[in-house]
Amino acid sequence: MRCSGYLFAHSAGEALSLLAELDGAGRVIAGGTDLMLAPGEAASATLVDISQIQELRYIEQRGERLHVGSLCTHEDLATSPLLHERAAALAAAAAAVGSPQIRSVGTVGGNVMNALPAADTAIALAALGATADVLGPGGTRETDLLTLYAGVGRSTVDPAREILTGFSFRIPRGSSFQRLAKRKALALPVLNAAAALWDDGEGGARTEVGIAVGPVATTPWRATEAERLVRGHAPTRELIEQAARTAMTTAVCRDSIRSCALYRQFMVEVLVRRALLEATGLAPTGREAAGPGTRSSAVRGRAHRAAPGRTDGGAFDQDAPASRRGGDR
Amino acid sequence: MSAQRLEFTLNGGTCTLDVDPGASLLDVLRDDLGLTGTKRGCSEGECGACTVLVDGTPVDSCLYPAMKAAGKNVLTIEGLGDPSHLHPIQRAFIEEGAVQCGFCTPGMVLTAKALLDRDPDPDEQTIRTAISGNLCRCTGYEKIARSIQRAATKAAGPSAAAPPDETPPAGAASPLSSGEAPPSTPVTTPSLGPGAAPVAPVGHVGSSPARLDAVPKVCGTARFSDDLSMPGMLYAKVLRSPHAHARIHYVDCSKARSFPGVRAVVTSADVPGRPNYGIITKDQPYLAIDRVRFEGEAVAAVAADTPSLARQALELIEVDYEPLPGVFSVDDSLADNAPRIHDNGNLLLMRRVLRGDPDAAFAQADLIVEETFRTPLIEHAYIEPEAGLAWLDEDVLVLHCVSQGVHYQRGEIAAMLGWPVNRVRVKQATVGGAFGGKIDLSVHPYIALLAVKAGRPVKLVYTREESMIASPKRHPITVRMRLGSDRSGRLVAGEAHISADSGAYASYSYAVVTRTAVCAFGPYDIPNVRVESLAAFTNNPIAGAMRGFGTPQLAFAHEQLIDMLAAKTGLSPLQMRKLNGFQPGQAHTPSGQYIADSEGLLATLERATEAATTATAAATGRREGNDAP
Repeated sequence: MRCSGYLFAHSAGEALSLLAELDGAGRVIAGGTDLMLAPGEAASATLVDISQIQELRYIEQRGERLHVGSLCTHEDLATSPLLHERAAALAAAAAAVGSPQIRSVGTVGGNVMNALPAADTAIALAALGATADVLGPGGTRETDLLTLYAGVGRSTVDPAREILTGFSFRIPRGSSFQRLAKRKALALPVLNAAAALWDDGEGGARTEVGIAVGPVATTPWRATEAERLVRGHAPTRELIEQAARTAMTTAVCRDSIRSCALYRQFMVEVLVRRALLEATGLAPTGREAAGPGTRSSAVRGRAHRAAPGRTDGGAFDQDAPASRRGGDR
Repeated sequence: MSAQRLEFTLNGGTCTLDVDPGASLLDVLRDDLGLTGTKRGCSEGECGACTVLVDGTPVDSCLYPAMKAAGKNVLTIEGLGDPSHLHPIQRAFIEEGAVQCGFCTPGMVLTAKALLDRDPDPDEQTIRTAISGNLCRCTGYEKIARSIQRAATKAAGPSAAAPPDETPPAGAASPLSSGEAPPSTPVTTPSLGPGAAPVAPVGHVGSSPARLDAVPKVCGTARFSDDLSMPGMLYAKVLRSPHAHARIHYVDCSKARSFPGVRAVVTSADVPGRPNYGIITKDQPYLAIDRVRFEGEAVAAVAADTPSLARQALELIEVDYEPLPGVFSVDDSLADNAPRIHDNGNLLLMRRVLRGDPDAAFAQADLIVEETFRTPLIEHAYIEPEAGLAWLDEDVLVLHCVSQGVHYQRGEIAAMLGWPVNRVRVKQATVGGAFGGKIDLSVHPYIALLAVKAGRPVKLVYTREESMIASPKRHPITVRMRLGSDRSGRLVAGEAHISADSGAYASYSYAVVTRTAVCAFGPYDIPNVRVESLAAFTNNPIAGAMRGFGTPQLAFAHEQLIDMLAAKTGLSPLQMRKLNGFQPGQAHTPSGQYIADSEGLLATLERATEAATTATAAATGRREGNDAP
């Protein structure tokens, strides 16, 4: 990495004023695990390190919502009892990122700022319907997580003037994160999916659901057609099967070095079904129960057999050597 | 960029220095502080060889901005123990045989320390998760996990309070076969210096003596090629072709030569002796001559005062390429009118093996199976990238470098320079994994030419990307194979048509492809056999030596066919193999080699069956006991 200087901010306010003083020549760095691999990206910038700002490293419940500070590391999320209890999808997603060395440095804010469409925590946050708080010269704006995405690797947050400070979401009744990767560590996902379910009683009439899948589009993708099927109904196994199929048929998958589009397309159904079953607390079917589990488990060979009408898994290439990080600015 | 002051605690002491604010902690530790026990494997956070502890937590120091260490407590392998004062984890790694090449070891040991500090009695799953960011390519993770367990057990033992610097009593005996050894059990290794652990008795067949070089490896003091340096040393970088196949009209190095800090620039015009090299066929230019045949082929090399200057100088070299159509598969390479990669044509070699009368045997066979199998190019992925240092010792050129064949490399370097071999010395540094991939030349010709031209020591370390594109790989192979048996499952005939992609140059293809032919059917006794095996040039990466030397690709094919045939005969896959496996004293290979002594297949199958039966019974018992669904 190249940069022209390195400063530390110890509060969000200090970070903002440093960025203001630098007037566009500054750039925020959190964990740095991605920025270190982008040799020219900050070459002429003075880096403003925000990773020591303790006020942005929190996981707490306020009323019906959970609030997560952007500077929580993946390790913070993966080991948080509160998250395990209230938003298991996010804890599992964080546990799936990179390796222990990367999880202890990379932050959830960085994972979102890096703006990759299958960043594990971003998929979980998208399913949870999270909003993000962005602090800038004009104050804090709260915005839907997905509005932070301007395309692959491009965030709408300006790292020279703004700071992503945190996320919040309504606590779901259940949530689940599923991931298909070639290895259990240090492997970007072939596909990941998360589901969250809210249920305010009344026989399912007020059921709300979030389903997110990546990489299916240039940003984290919400399976809105599948969500519509479940919304307002008490979830049943049949409904979940139907929703999973709808997610598959509406997803537009791409070929990449990690998988061909067709294989990904079939796997959308499998992962969404598993995510919904787990989120709703319905006992998985025999086949799913025999699967390699949930959370951070890499779904392996078994998933191939689950693909309808196809057993070879498609043209599998090696993982891209670069960018296995948890993501950080 | 201007240097910034950095203050932190390093291995218990205060450390203050001025650093490049964009530098990684790894760069500062290795390059500024000379602490080479922390290894540079991938520089991308993939391999974990650079793991250090920051405030007790493992981090990839290659992805960790050095400035972040300000005010923190950094522990590197140098701060954990030294050869005369081993930490219990280091000792356990030696005792369990978890150290092979040693390149992943410092990072692995530190990750283990962080784990045991927070969880003194981890179960196996916890250990495996903890080390999941540390790759090992030699030992595998079984012995590493066992050593961590062993260290944990010892720490929990009666002398857990024993300080890590406890010096073991000298002369205590091996073997280290038992996990119940008292915590004071010394590391039984030959003495490596004053105060080092004691000498192992020799001649203990069946015992587990410690490796000769295990102590420096667990301490990070073993000197791998990238750990070497000399006063006045220059740093080399190689300019590589962006084209898979192209004609070179000219290479203009004049701007690079006059760039400040550049001490030497070489192209093929600077090769005074023989222009080509190769283990068997001398078909590969040391530096491209008028033509490049694969993406990543070396065109020029620069030596400069710093790696950064050398990199900048590469950008000043002008190369006029005329891209040519390339061929990227054996089929395309051997098609009529295919672009010629070498003057003698694209077919490198053909090997044929004939035993008995396969046509008649297939005609009489009761059962026949046939399939086509393809295996991919495979990268060795040793954690240590290729590296070396060359210097002139009066009129002798010395290379201290990665190697799996110092004599071969000496001969090639001498031929390149047009020197007698007694003026070239090649010393093998500690090698961080090779698996066949370091038999060929890699950094050697460039550091040799540059050191002679500049008259100063020159070091070159490949980036991970360079290592991936420039060094030979496992041959991608397509094999069409047919097996015939009688009704009882006894194999009567075999036929294989094998084609191997040699990439742009021959490297070890002659030997590898010959091996695919003579070992085409593995350890199975087939009286009537026809094999045709060929290698062709393409514009793909070069294929050469890699463990197994062509036989793993064929095993993939014959093992599948044996299973398919077993299904047809009604035999189990195990019965099928027992029926047809080499019987020492009776069997012949396809090339007629008589198998006089045990080659172990049948005995291995017996033992594997026993172990599997035991394991299955245990698993079944567990399931029933747990009343699980």
